[in-house]
Formats: sequence, C-alpha cells, structure tokens
Amino acid sequence: RMEASCLELALEGERLCKAGDCRAGVSFFEAAVQVGTEDLRTLSAIYSQLGNAYFYLHEYAKALEYHHHDLTLARTIGDLLGEAKASGNLGNTLKVLGNFEEAIVCCQRHLDISRELNDKVGEARALYNLGNVYHSKGKNVASAGTHDPGELPDDVKSALQKAANYYEENLTIVTELGDRAAQGRAFGNLGNTHYLLGNFRSAVLAHEQRLLIAKEFGDRSAERRAYSNLGNAYIFLGEFETAAEYYKRTLQLARQLKDRAVEAQACYSLGNTYTLLQDYERAIDYHLKHLVIAQELHDKIGEGRACWSLGNAYTALGNHDQAIHFAERHLEISREVGDRSGELTARLNLSDLQMVLGLSYSTNNSMMSESHVVENSFNGGRPRGRRHSMENMELMKLTPEKVQNWN
Amino acid sequence: SQPLAGCQAAELQSKVVPSKQILHSDNMEMEPETMETKSVTDYFSKLHMGSLVYSCTSKRKNK
Repeated sequence: RMEASCLELALEGERLCKAGDCRAGVSFFEAAVQVGTEDLRTLSAIYSQLGNAYFYLHEYAKALEYHHHDLTLARTIGDLLGEAKASGNLGNTLKVLGNFEEAIVCCQRHLDISRELNDKVGEARALYNLGNVYHSKGKNVASAGTHDPGELPDDVKSALQKAANYYEENLTIVTELGDRAAQGRAFGNLGNTHYLLGNFRSAVLAHEQRLLIAKEFGDRSAERRAYSNLGNAYIFLGEFETAAEYYKRTLQLARQLKDRAVEAQACYSLGNTYTLLQDYERAIDYHLKHLVIAQELHDKIGEGRACWSLGNAYTALGNHDQAIHFAERHLEISREVGDRSGELTARLNLSDLQMVLGLSYSTNNSMMSESHVVENSFNGGRPRGRRHSMENMELMKLTPEKVQNWN
Repeated sequence: SQPLAGCQAAELQSKVVPSKQILHSDNMEMEPETMETKSVTDYFSKLHMGSLVYSCTSKRKNK
C-alpha cells in the first residue's frame, strides 16, 4: 500500500515535470521520498528527476545534492547505466557551479561507462557534456582578463581547443546516428567555441549549419540564437553590414517570440553595429529602443549602458546638450548601482564635454583632480592611450596632458 | 580659446569608437544542456519486456 503510494506520487511528479511544471513536480517527488520505498531503483529514479527538476529551476545546490544521492544509489545497486547517467548529470551541475575539474571527472566517467556498455547514444551525450565543461572553463578563465576573441592566454586556448575537439567527436557520432537535433546543439556550441578562439570563418560555418537545422525543426528560439551568433561573428570579420542584417533578423524573431529582454539585447547590438558603421542617427534610434525596454524591465545595468552609448553617439554627432544629458544620467545610474568604473567613465566624459563647451572649471577642480588620481591607478602605468573602460568597452578620449593644458 | 575648443570637439567626435570586443562577445548564445533522464517506469518496463514480444503475420488476405 505504501509502495503504491510512493510510486503514485512519483508518477504524478514525472507527469508534472514533463508538462513543464517543475515546481509542482518537485513537491510530488519530495512527498514520494517522504513516504519512502524499499525499491532502490525507484528511489534512484526519483532522486535523478528531483536533481533535474532543481537544475531547470536553477537551484543548483539542491540539484547537486540529489544527483549525488542518485550516484551513490546507482553504485550501491551496481547499476552501471544508472551510474553513467548520474555522473553526467552531476558533471553538468558541477559545471554550472564553476567546479570544472570535478565536472570533468564526472563527465569522463559518463563517457567511459558508455563506451564500456557500447552505448553510442550515451557516448555522444557525454562528449557533448565534456565539450560544454571545457567551453565554460575556457570562457571562465578568459572573462577574468580583457581581450578580444582570439587573443587568449595558453590555458584558455587549450581548454577551448579541447571543447572544439569534443564537439567534433560528438558530431561524428550523432551524424552517424542521424540525430539532427543533437547535431544542431553541437554546431551551435562549436560555433561559439570557434568564435572565442578567433576562428570567425569557422564560427560562421558552424552557425550556418545550426541555422539550417533550426529551420528544419521550426525551432524559432534556436533560429534566433543562430542569427545573433552569426551577427557577433560578422562583427569580428569586419563585415558590419552583414552583422546588422543578422541582428535585424534576431530582432524580428525576438519580437515574434515576445521576449523583451532578448529584443533589448538585439537593439543594443544594432546600436553598436551602427556606431561601428558610423551611422549615428540609426545607432541612437536603436539605443533609445534599448533604453525604453531596459527601463521597462527595471534593468539598471542595461539602462546605464544605454545612456553611455547614447552619450557617445550624441557626442559623435556634435549634439553636446543631449550628450551631457545622457552622460549625467549615466553618472547617476553608475552611482546608484555602485559601478565604480562606470562612474569614473561618466565623470571623464562629462569633464571632456564641459571642456569642449568651454565651461568654467572653477567648480570642477576637485572633480578633475580626483579623476586624475583614479585614472593613474586605473591604467597601472601602461604606455597606452587613456582608457575609459566600461564593461571592457574602449573610448579613446583626451589625454591627461591635454586636460592639464586646459587648466 | 574658441579655435581650441573647436579642435577639442573634433577630437571628441573622432575618438568615439567602441571596441568591438565586449559589445558583441558578452551575449554569446549557448545551446541548452542535455540532462540524462530516468523514470520510475524504466525498471518495470525492463521486467516485463520479455513477455511483450509477439509476432504478427505480415498480411491478411481478404477475398
């Protein structure tokens, strides 16, 4: 009687998770665990599904706990396939938590067992997971520094190269198996790996394949992702018009899919692309669209970026009133969100603009001297032009020497 | 200081060039992870698999 009730609860949990209601599914699975069962295989399946449900709910600490329980159980009952699956899930969870070395061990275990069992499908999935772990590892180390894609330290490069190799291995198998959906996923992530490695042509080729498969499936989210990634690659190939075309398709699909955050990102990318094309009117148009959505979504960081971009574009057009207006708002928002480097950038922009407008400096002396102090520590004495870095964006401006000449 | 201000303005305009880097690299769109799935029915279906095998004749001839 108790057995049946645990099973019934678990089946309802499965049904709810399949229907996309993970939160409710979790409640039923946890109730099933409370009731308990003597059958360790059933319990293992419940733990595994709890782990996945928590993973999709972005509660990774809980996901880790349950996948770990599942792994322990699978080993206890000598269920090799169950152990492979639990290892893979544990690996994915550890990856998201940034524990790459342990993630690699788990995903490798998934791969080894799959090969031992001659399970081609499992092998391919493990290879994809391993690719993802190495990609994350590379990206994680890379983001600590600031460099363009393609200009990478050796450890980053080797992690990304490994990721590319695993995706290629995965592609060989899933192509043999005729699994188009899996091919699509591998092409997408392979494209992003090539992009980070600076192989922009290879990135384009992979994303074009991803796009093709997305269209085959009528998967509009995947199609939108491919357009966005293609746009990014074309930016670095210096083909800004082509990039703009892809970003426009991204924007179109974002609107169709009614995803405001993604729509904002597309507008921002378009604004930046038109800035690179030196078409500042269009840039302003898209940055204003981005600003409206950022405000609507209460995205302060995005709003700050929009104001900063607008300030630049208006400066480029020589519209100093608007430039100052947005630089001031950028300063305000940077203070609000505690973004020190944004605040510094905004102050320097404002002081430069004030100089251009020939404003009196009597009131700004303290501000100027302060920005000098920060600037010097900021640049660490690198023999380069002054950098106003905000989110690694570069804005070459007046040099400190010139500022001194003004005083 | 008018001409100098004009020169500054020109400089300000010519130097507004964002680096291509973070603009377009911080919004890379990754494909979703794939998780391995188990079901409480897996085990039962395996138990009963043997008894579910049956054959069917290819054609019924109607006259």
